[in-house]
Amino acid sequence: MMKIENLNVKIKDTDIDILRDFSLEIGSGEVHAIMGPNGAGKSSLSKTIMGHYKYEVTNGNIYFEGEDISNLEVSDRAKKGIFLCMQDPMVIEGISNSEFLRTARSEVSSEKVNLYTFIKDMEEVMKKVELDSNMLHRSLNFGFSGGEKKKNEILQMLFLKPKFIILDELDSGLDVDSLRIVCENINEYLNDNPETSVLIITHYTRILDYIKPDYVHVLVDGKIKKTGNSDLAFEIEKNGYSMIGNDIDE
Amino acid sequence: MSKILYVLDDNKNSNYKYNINEDTIIYHFSINGSSDVEINMVKEGVSLYYYYSNINYDNNSFKIKVTHLASNTHSEIFNHGVNVYNNKLTYFVDGIVIKSSSKCICNQDNQIINMNDGKSTICPNLLIDNYDVDSNHAAYIGSFKEDILFYMMSRGISREKANRLLLNGFLINSDSIDKSKIGKFIDEIKNI
Repeated sequence: MMKIENLNVKIKDTDIDILRDFSLEIGSGEVHAIMGPNGAGKSSLSKTIMGHYKYEVTNGNIYFEGEDISNLEVSDRAKKGIFLCMQDPMVIEGISNSEFLRTARSEVSSEKVNLYTFIKDMEEVMKKVELDSNMLHRSLNFGFSGGEKKKNEILQMLFLKPKFIILDELDSGLDVDSLRIVCENINEYLNDNPETSVLIITHYTRILDYIKPDYVHVLVDGKIKKTGNSDLAFEIEKNGYSMIGNDIDE
Repeated sequence: MSKILYVLDDNKNSNYKYNINEDTIIYHFSINGSSDVEINMVKEGVSLYYYYSNINYDNNSFKIKVTHLASNTHSEIFNHGVNVYNNKLTYFVDGIVIKSSSKCICNQDNQIINMNDGKSTICPNLLIDNYDVDSNHAAYIGSFKEDILFYMMSRGISREKANRLLLNGFLINSDSIDKSKIGKFIDEIKNI
């Protein structure tokens, strides 16, 4: 589904390299987790896949369902079914949650969204993620707690029905109950849509207790240094990233 | 319950003077005009929320002066402008608290979005002559932030549509505005 080939990325208008010959292939229905120390390039990878304006691909390609998306606009990547659940979702005053989501859904599906169906669907999804339905009419993420913002990200995800989900530090700012709620919703979505793939970006194994990865990769200095199964994540939590350096320093 | 006033200036220059003696919300919309607004907070304990939104095509200015003449008065001024072409748009925003007015709150938030290479200026002034006052100002001139556009586009919304939504939200920046009273202004947003 997602194939990243020899990707080199730098911060635009600088000489700061972020990813170096980074390659990764994620098959349909697979869950991959990327772990790594601060500054390894994890969040930059997620933003690069989404097409963030700060990052410049200097070499390599990103293929999604066989198509090179490296030069596509951000919105076109989203329309193809890529969803980035952001680490720090933006607050946008003046645009209500409902207006935002209704527009997004109509853009992604290329169909006009019926207001009655929309509100009915929204109320159902909001109940699932345990968000107050009044939030629908408030400005986007305005006055939301950290946990509510993350729940709102998952609400958007459930509503836009993506094929490829990137969870960037989903667990940051979430208490245990909220983490459980959002992960249960993600798992339910994955059960209903078994073709959907997930890329989890995380520092900690907490989220991996809920969403089981098929593969865990360790990213250091913009390169994958080690790949394993979920045991690798718990090994890292126990021994730290220094063990990776000892294992495979070229 | 606050008193609510709607003002709509369409291609004209205007002057307004208000003495605020009860809690008041003023929604002031301007299409390509200059305005001069003078406000006196005259009664102890009253509050004023002033929302100014303007769409600018030529060289224009907006002057607003809020003077706290009584203690425990509270003013919140929100000025949002869109400078569409390469012209000048200038905001002069004065908040004044005189020596005898204590425990006042005097805040202002000013933003101008440049759609092209227009020359926009904001002059925020807080002239506070009393030690027991809470007063803040903020000023921003530029385009919509790329991080916000990225967020919206990452949900499938095209850049053009995202800009349009942001323009609407920026110029109609309070949920409690009765849109039926400002139909002409809403129509004008579509022309930007």
